[in-house]
Amino acid sequence: MLTIFNKRAIVRLVFCAGTGSRFGSTYKRNHNYDYDLIVIGGGSGGLACAKEAIQHGAKVACLDYVTPTPLGTKWGIGGTCVNVGCIPKKLMHQAALLGEGLHEATAYGWDIPNKEQIKPDWNKLVESVQNHIKSVNWVTRVDLRDKHVEYVNGLGSFKDAHTVVATLKNKSEKILTADKIVIAVGGRPNYPDIPGAIEHGITSDDIFSLDRAPGKTLVVGAGYIGLECAGFLKGLGYDATVMVRSIVLRGFDQQMATIVSDAMVERGINFLHKCIPKSVEKQADGKLLVKWLNTEANTEHSDVYDTVLWAIGRKGLVEDLKLENAGVVFKGTKIEVSEAEGTNVSNIFAVGDVIYGKPELTPVAIHAGRLLARRLFGGSTQTMDYVDVATTVFSPLEYACVGLSEEDAIKKMGGEENIEVYHGFYKPTEFFIPQKSVRYCYLKAVAERSGDQKVLGLHYVGPVAGEVIQGFAVALKAGLTIKTLFNTVGIHPTTAEEFTRLNITKRSGLDPTPASCCS
Amino acid sequence: MSSLRTAFAANQLLRRGFTTSSRMMEIFKVQSVQDFEEKVKKSDKPVIVDFFATWCNPCKMLTPRIESVIGEKKGQIALAKVDIDEHVDLALDYDVQSVPVLMVVQNGKVIKRLVGLQDTDKLRDWVDKAVDGK
Repeated sequence: MLTIFNKRAIVRLVFCAGTGSRFGSTYKRNHNYDYDLIVIGGGSGGLACAKEAIQHGAKVACLDYVTPTPLGTKWGIGGTCVNVGCIPKKLMHQAALLGEGLHEATAYGWDIPNKEQIKPDWNKLVESVQNHIKSVNWVTRVDLRDKHVEYVNGLGSFKDAHTVVATLKNKSEKILTADKIVIAVGGRPNYPDIPGAIEHGITSDDIFSLDRAPGKTLVVGAGYIGLECAGFLKGLGYDATVMVRSIVLRGFDQQMATIVSDAMVERGINFLHKCIPKSVEKQADGKLLVKWLNTEANTEHSDVYDTVLWAIGRKGLVEDLKLENAGVVFKGTKIEVSEAEGTNVSNIFAVGDVIYGKPELTPVAIHAGRLLARRLFGGSTQTMDYVDVATTVFSPLEYACVGLSEEDAIKKMGGEENIEVYHGFYKPTEFFIPQKSVRYCYLKAVAERSGDQKVLGLHYVGPVAGEVIQGFAVALKAGLTIKTLFNTVGIHPTTAEEFTRLNITKRSGLDPTPASCCS
Repeated sequence: MSSLRTAFAANQLLRRGFTTSSRMMEIFKVQSVQDFEEKVKKSDKPVIVDFFATWCNPCKMLTPRIESVIGEKKGQIALAKVDIDEHVDLALDYDVQSVPVLMVVQNGKVIKRLVGLQDTDKLRDWVDKAVDGK
């Protein structure tokens, strides 16, 4: 092994070395500010925007600062995804899947001695995950230096519409001015307003670097973050409970949400439905006594946990920005932007999780940030298309989708009679030998009912869901119809091919469970 | 993370336990840019700079190898260890893109670089040449 970085990272760096401009310097300066662009926030969206602006010849500074969590967790450059989001989440999910795989391996003829002694080493996992993250932080720093983006490790706030104050770690201030400013500060998890929440609870900001095994854990919140955390914790052998206030996976197709949570229940994850936490107290033995209310039965309950993780939603980080100094209007904790990511102040823009009403996803932020820089400095007019963005929930049995949920399709088409839903359960080939449950392996295509039946949404629960849906997302963006889908020959034996084998409509009332494998 | 540092420190202590005080001068950890300026750039004998990170496994494997090779040179050459996360700008100034990176500094100038994990024989050969001024 030559270096700690994967070959791709190194190759990427080599190719990017020396800035130059692959598009030629189309940008002409007509102001006297220090910079052409200041990006506040060094996460996916901010970095993509900063780097793209450089390619067009702009002079760019990028501010990044992480306020530690109440527990004291902090991290480096790169934002939520790299440090406390997608990356560590996927790695811990993978750790859980490997544990599952180890137990299935014996059915495939692997002789595993002392199988019952197989157990995860939380600290080793955290160390490996954190080492990877730190290497990514480093690559990011090198990349910024190579591209001549000026990096400022300071908390950004506005002095006026063209002036940003960076408050550094030692509390000293650095004043920077720029023609254009992009807000890409992202978001952070919310804490509930109940006794003990902040003192004793943790969030997804803490879990991936937690210095002790989490043990018996209560995850409060059933959005994708809550489900994913409960999923990998259970997969690593810890008792996990999900507390649900109203519904699971709000915003997602609710039939699929139920399948995802049922599959979690089958794996031994507990669900407390219609419950809200009331208090968290630390007992003499260090364990956490959680009291909650069942809002349906109006009954009070309690239990003792080693860890309580809040996954009740995220807020935009507008509070530190002093937006009022620049006159930027915000909505709650978020900033509403135009089609061109503009705020109400003409030289100030926003991308990523801080903007109001758009998917909070890394690739969305990257794409929006890059397109914004091209418009600001490269003469482009292309705007971000926020529609039909595919996404995946890395629950134990994964769920991926693109396009509309069945509910939204009905709403959009003006009634159930105007849509056709093709659906089916399926049996992944590799599930047979270890006799894994196929009960929740299910997929559906939601389409218009008339004509060639334009596909409105695709939904899949099963292994490697993200890998399955990515290609179909391209097809959907290109105007996929049921006719085309059924004219497509599948790859056998895969689970993705099940989309081409769909033939039962919900309307028909026929049994959607599979008959045979290869005919 | 902290356990890594501890392991690293323990390793250093063990090695120093059976060496002379001059050996302690030969292998040192760079504390600041000023420290680097004085002990590396202004050194009258060649210095090997080892850019490493606590999160880098090949770095951890390289440490005992390069230290033992330096020990064999009996004071002819020193080893300056730089934690790239503690001295980011220093590492970036010397164009450290991936770690480990070894470089020979003589009279304040970088004479040669070696990127990545190496076996002890290759290290010995490389250090020998540095000592001979090649």
